[in-house]
Amino acid sequence: MKFGYTSWLPETELVNKFMEALRNNKLVGTKCKKCGQKYLPPRAHCKCGSTDLEWFDAPNRGKIRTYTVVSFAPESMSKYAPYIVGVAEVEGGLSLMGQLTGVTPSTLRVGLPVQIVAHQPDMDRVVYKFKPT
Amino acid sequence: MPPKVGIVGVGHAKFGKRADATIRELAHEAVRPALEDSGLAIDDMDASVIGIAGEEFAMQGAPAAVVHDYVGMGNKPTYRVEAACATGSAAIRTAWALITSKLHDVVLVIGAETMTRVSSARATELMARAGDTRWEYPFGITFPGFYALMATAHMNEFGTTREQLSMVSVKNHKYGAMNPYAHLQREITLEEAVKSIVISHPLNLYDCCLISDGAAAAVMASEEKARQITDTPIWIKGLGAASDSMLIAERPTLTGLTGTRLAATKAYEMAGIHPSNVNIAEVHDCFTIAEIMAYEDLGFCEKGKGGKFIEEEQSYIGGKVPVNIDGGLKSKGHPLGATGVSMAVELVKQLRGEAGNRQVSGAQIGLSHNVGETGQFVFVHIFSR
Repeated sequence: MKFGYTSWLPETELVNKFMEALRNNKLVGTKCKKCGQKYLPPRAHCKCGSTDLEWFDAPNRGKIRTYTVVSFAPESMSKYAPYIVGVAEVEGGLSLMGQLTGVTPSTLRVGLPVQIVAHQPDMDRVVYKFKPT
Repeated sequence: MPPKVGIVGVGHAKFGKRADATIRELAHEAVRPALEDSGLAIDDMDASVIGIAGEEFAMQGAPAAVVHDYVGMGNKPTYRVEAACATGSAAIRTAWALITSKLHDVVLVIGAETMTRVSSARATELMARAGDTRWEYPFGITFPGFYALMATAHMNEFGTTREQLSMVSVKNHKYGAMNPYAHLQREITLEEAVKSIVISHPLNLYDCCLISDGAAAAVMASEEKARQITDTPIWIKGLGAASDSMLIAERPTLTGLTGTRLAATKAYEMAGIHPSNVNIAEVHDCFTIAEIMAYEDLGFCEKGKGGKFIEEEQSYIGGKVPVNIDGGLKSKGHPLGATGVSMAVELVKQLRGEAGNRQVSGAQIGLSHNVGETGQFVFVHIFSR
C-alpha cells in the first residue's frame, strides 16, 4: 500500500502505521514525549532532537484555511485534473494539506467545516480527503 | 563595518526558449560580456561559483563542472550552489563569503538553467517534486498551486482583487517589452491578463512566470581589488537570508513569507537603511501574488496593502519603489539558477545609470529579493553605488 495519489518514496514503518489507521477511518499523529510537540502528519523524530515519540488520535474534523483548484497538473497527476487542494486546520490547531471532495466551486470557501475521510484512489493507494460536514 | 565586496562586471544572456544553445553556450553568452565589462580576462578569476538548480532540466549530472570548463576556468576551483529558484542569489551570497573570508579575491558568479527541453507538464512535475514528496506532493500540489493557496488566503483576508493580481503582470510586461534580454518582450492589456486561462485557481496563465532558458554572470571582488579594477564598482551593502517550514500547511500564516520578512530585516540592518531608502527593487514575482506579498514583507507598504500598492502604480517608475523594471520573472523569464544573478545584473546597470530607457533616475540603493520554493530559501541583497 502506498500513500497519496502519486509518490515513489518507500513506505516506512511510520507511514505504514499512519495508513493502517487511516484505512480504519482514524487520523493519527505523533507526539514528542520530551517536549510535547505534536505532529500531524506524523514524524519519526522530533524537531527538538528527541526520538521518543508516541502516537495520538487526532480529531477527524477541521475547517478549510485556504484552497485552489488545480487545472494544470503535474504529468503524474494529469488523469485526476482538475482537482481541489486545500489546507485544513484540524481541531486542536494542527494543519494538513489534502484534496477536497463533495464540493463545487460555488460552495467552496475559506472557513468551510470539513470531515477528514479515508479514500482509495487505486487498489494499492490510500489517502485522506476533506469532505464538507 | 562589515567588509565590502564589489561587483565589477556583469553580463546577461538572452532569456527565452533557446533551442540554439545548451547550458554551456548560455553560460558563455553571459560570462564573456561580464569579463569585458570588468576589463579582466578569464585567467584573472580566482574561482567560480555556479548556480544551477536542476540536473534533470540541464540533462547533465553535475552540470557546474561542464559550465566551469566551457567558459575557460581550467584548473581553478569551482563551487556549485543550489537553492531552488533562489539559486542565483545563493551563489552571490556564497561568493561574498568566499571573498570576505579571503579565500579568493576575484570570483566569477554564473547562474544558468535550461528548462524548455521538457514539456510544460513535465516541467510542472519536476518543480512539484521540490515540494515535500512525502506529505504534500502526493496530493498533486504544484508550484502555481502553492502560490494559489496563498493568493486565496490573501484575497480572503485582505480583499485583494483579481484585477490587482493582473496589474502586476501588466506592469512587468510593460517593462519587459523594453528589455532586449527578456523572454517575452510584449505588452499585455489588463483585460487579456484577467481573462487568460486558469492554471490553478485563482491564478491564471498571466499570473505565472515563464519557463525559460538563460544565464547571467557577475564578477565580484574584494574592496581593494574592486577599486583597482574599476572606478564604478557597485557595493553589496547588506545581505539577509532565512528559511521556513517545508510543509506549507504547518505555517501559522499563509498571506506572506516569514522568510522574506526575516531576511529583509537582516539586510536592512546590515546596510543601515530603511525600506523607504530603496530606490529600485528586483523582487521574486514567480506569481503575481508573490510580488504583492513581497511589497508587504519587504516593508514597501503595510501588510494587506500590496494590492493597493500596485493599483496606485507605486511600483512603476515614478512611484514609491519601482519594482521589476526589467520585466521580472513574469516577462523576462525565470531560468531558475540564472534569476538571482540576473537581478544583480539589472541592479548594477541601474545603479551605474546604464539602464537606458528603463533607467530609474538617480537610483542610489537597489534591493534584490529571491525566493526558493515557497520561502524555504530566501535571500535579500542590498546594493549601492
